[in-house]
Amino acid sequence: MSAPGSQSPVAPDERPGLGESGNDPLVLLELIQRLKVRDVMTADLVTLPRDASMQQAQELMRQKKISGVPVEEKGRFFGLVSIDDIIRALVAGTIHESCGRHMTTKLVVLEDDMPLSFALRYFDRYHYGRFPVLNRDRRLVGIICQRDINRALLVELTRELQRLESVSVQRGGEGAAGSLYLLREFPICKYDFENAGKAANQIKQVLQEKKFATKVIRRIAVAAYELEINLCVHSDGGVLSWQVSSGRAEVIARDAGPGIEDVEWACRDGTSTANEWIRSLGFGAGMGLVNVRRVSDEFEITSKKGSGTTVKAVIYIEGGVA
Amino acid sequence: MTMSEVAEVLQAEVLVKGDGLLRRVGHVMASDLMSDVLLVDEEDMLLLTSLASDQVLRTAQIVGAVGVVVVNGKPLPSSMVNVANDLHMTLATSRLSKYDACVAVHAARHPL
Repeated sequence: MSAPGSQSPVAPDERPGLGESGNDPLVLLELIQRLKVRDVMTADLVTLPRDASMQQAQELMRQKKISGVPVEEKGRFFGLVSIDDIIRALVAGTIHESCGRHMTTKLVVLEDDMPLSFALRYFDRYHYGRFPVLNRDRRLVGIICQRDINRALLVELTRELQRLESVSVQRGGEGAAGSLYLLREFPICKYDFENAGKAANQIKQVLQEKKFATKVIRRIAVAAYELEINLCVHSDGGVLSWQVSSGRAEVIARDAGPGIEDVEWACRDGTSTANEWIRSLGFGAGMGLVNVRRVSDEFEITSKKGSGTTVKAVIYIEGGVA
Repeated sequence: MTMSEVAEVLQAEVLVKGDGLLRRVGHVMASDLMSDVLLVDEEDMLLLTSLASDQVLRTAQIVGAVGVVVVNGKPLPSSMVNVANDLHMTLATSRLSKYDACVAVHAARHPL
């Protein structure tokens, strides 16, 4: 079920797809990397069994105002009845025959944990109006069409804009002057090793898509990753934020505790308060802050025992952003 | 040598092809300490490790590693395959020990 078939293609568009032109805003690139297909797809599916007639499919599509019906039994996905299939059945006089006989079975499908950027590439490559979505057990869990993507991106972009606007106001309108290129915050939870590193991975992917210089990407990514792991290992939870404005990237880790008693000691090579469990995971060697300082052009740390810690790493971007 | 050739030398099973299988391996780093890995500035590095965790892959992505080979035949958590797929990171396992894996790669690059 992977070769393209008659999955109701839409008219091809020669313009570059989202994330392919190199000129898309970073917020958008970051969004299409972060969002998964499952976050965007329609999960509340209307389906038919194989023995349903094509006429039933036609009636269902009319009632629900949809352009395709998945054919599925107990989660097992067999095919899709599209408007094309209905038209063919009407012309051939087979509208009373079963969906199992006339549905499209050669389909391109997506998996629910693929990033949205992957789905966008599929829409560009195959020019289909929709893709069935399967989970890792190959069970049908949803369907995704371009309308779903538009809706999800609008919701997320509105949320992002509101957040950016509030940040700009807090920062005295710095963003309004046009210097703010991107700002994003990631909440980091204590000991959440399942997700630790995800934020830095996403930051690196966005910078790569935007074609920043490799060495700059590496320095920003290393600073972000070390600070993210530090938040996860040493703090009670905090926020990792990053922003790229003209000529510089800032990565900031803020937490609300427990604070560092001796900042100078904490910044020394090989000093760490990490326990054996953290060390068994490959971290806690006391190199984190040292490494952040190493890759940064500016480095600041403020902390007080019993309250929070803020670490700021600034990396200069030679020649400005791409 | 390419990552694919190194995998052959290590008798490794490639679990995720990723973007690295045809990339050239210029450096090999053997470490279980991710903090050390983050200190390396080489872009064409292969990471040999006996640590089987998602963070190994996340660290490898940050430093732009060609791929990750988990040595000692360690069983991998299923999440590692998912993370490797998400990050397009080449992931393989080898039954060789970390030491023997280093010797094998060195011998293949510098035959007697």
